[in-house]
Amino acid sequence: MMGLVNTVKQFFDDRYDTKLAGELISKQAFKRLPPHTGWLHVLGSLSLLLFISQTITGIMLLIYYRPTPEAAHKSIQYITAEVQFGWLYRQIHAWGASMMIFAVILHMIRTFFMGAYKKPRELTWVTGVILFILTITFGFTGYLLPWNQIAFWATTVGTESASKVPVIGDWLQYFLRGGDAVTGETLSRFFVVHVILLPWALTGVIAVHLFLMRLSNLATLERVGEEAPLKPEHGIPFFPVHVAKEGVVVMMMLAVLVTLSVVSPWEIGEPANALQTPPHIKPEWYFLPSYQLLKYFEGPYGALMGIIGCSVPFVLLLLWPFLDRGKERHPRKRPIAVGLGLFGLLGAMFLGYLGHISETEQTFFGQRYHITLKGWPVPLDDTADAEPPAH
Amino acid sequence: MSGQMNKPPTRRSFLDLILAVGSLLTTAAVSIPGLMYLWPAAKGGGPAKVEVEGADQMTPGQGKTIQVGSQAVVVVRHRSGFKAYSAVCTHLGCLVTWDSPTKSFLCPCHAAVFDENGKVVSGPPPAPLPEFVVKEIGDKVFVSAA
Repeated sequence: MMGLVNTVKQFFDDRYDTKLAGELISKQAFKRLPPHTGWLHVLGSLSLLLFISQTITGIMLLIYYRPTPEAAHKSIQYITAEVQFGWLYRQIHAWGASMMIFAVILHMIRTFFMGAYKKPRELTWVTGVILFILTITFGFTGYLLPWNQIAFWATTVGTESASKVPVIGDWLQYFLRGGDAVTGETLSRFFVVHVILLPWALTGVIAVHLFLMRLSNLATLERVGEEAPLKPEHGIPFFPVHVAKEGVVVMMMLAVLVTLSVVSPWEIGEPANALQTPPHIKPEWYFLPSYQLLKYFEGPYGALMGIIGCSVPFVLLLLWPFLDRGKERHPRKRPIAVGLGLFGLLGAMFLGYLGHISETEQTFFGQRYHITLKGWPVPLDDTADAEPPAH
Repeated sequence: MSGQMNKPPTRRSFLDLILAVGSLLTTAAVSIPGLMYLWPAAKGGGPAKVEVEGADQMTPGQGKTIQVGSQAVVVVRHRSGFKAYSAVCTHLGCLVTWDSPTKSFLCPCHAAVFDENGKVVSGPPPAPLPEFVVKEIGDKVFVSAA
């Protein structure tokens, strides 16, 4: 065995500068990370590992999936019911999509509150926000592929929103749909974007993001421009210490994915029907804040104002490192940035919750309420439903 | 500066110019057909004039959703005759349904309500439902775009 290894090694040594390649690899593998690097710093790796999981399960699903209106829904049924372990790969892919978006959001929250986006890491943050937008687009395009009622109408509403963009709105909608309405042309377009364009775009931006991250190393909590050079004896080695943490996270991630797949499987739903919108359709959790926000804008320019309202947070995120030029990184010394961040985060969670409970009945402190479309609670008179008293 | 501008072109600068213009033309020649390829080819959808199947069996106050071209249309029979409106809510594209008891069109997505003439009664839609042309020929009813 060793003889074979030595022969292979000799083969490469005779042809390439393997010493230089070895030095480059060990420099990266044993690179020291700042002493405060902990479990919160594995969220980026978790996002990457989920992307890898999505790629693998996506390729598995592609073997049986058929991207046409006639066959898409049936092929999903076939994968779930007939193909061995097909149900598992479909569930892991569906849950993995949600988990990937969740992991990216957590990673961004960690980066924001630790001030890691500040100089010299502004572009690392910007590429991170682009990755977040691409991940959401992954979710939106993949959602249509099962060609069920919820997917069809969520895509109809989503692409209709595009038509409210000033000047180019109608063209944009026509281009996205591949025609006037959501049809097989839309399915083809979303399929290509989901399985070809986005994976490569995401891979490219991840490569730039990782390169920039390794170039500047992880941020400390010291002031901008006052980061003390990292002494090797004080740092945490990337390998094996940090990699071990990532290994633990991978196993936990797989355990959570499989558990969710078994305990709470995603429904296939009814096949898409272009002549019937189902009642009370709601988007995925990551679109709920935008969904709820759009409801508050009415009138001729309501949808346009809603789109602007939904776009502002993304523009702010992209520009944030260039707007917040303070030197402090520690969250306790950045009250305005932390306050704004918390306001945005809690606001999005509140809007999302309102979107989730809107048009349902809920009980708060023993009183039943009907939650209106806009999220206002209207008390319900329970006596109407109560049993009449016995005489 | 002006001296530089008046300098006669050299063979190298001329070749640089040719290379730059050639690169631009090549990029355009490759990308314009690509963009045109991506633009959706116009399709007529279904027929632009459609007969309402079973119109003679509809009672006054009853509505029915049909497809005219690529659009969903709600046909409603009133005592005075048939009327047809686009079923596509002008808010975000969900399909409205005809609610006989309230004589109104209801959108299931954002609770919009339109009256029997397609005008917005409540909710976020910015415009009324577009009306379609209805022609009654004998006991047959035809719907077409306005």
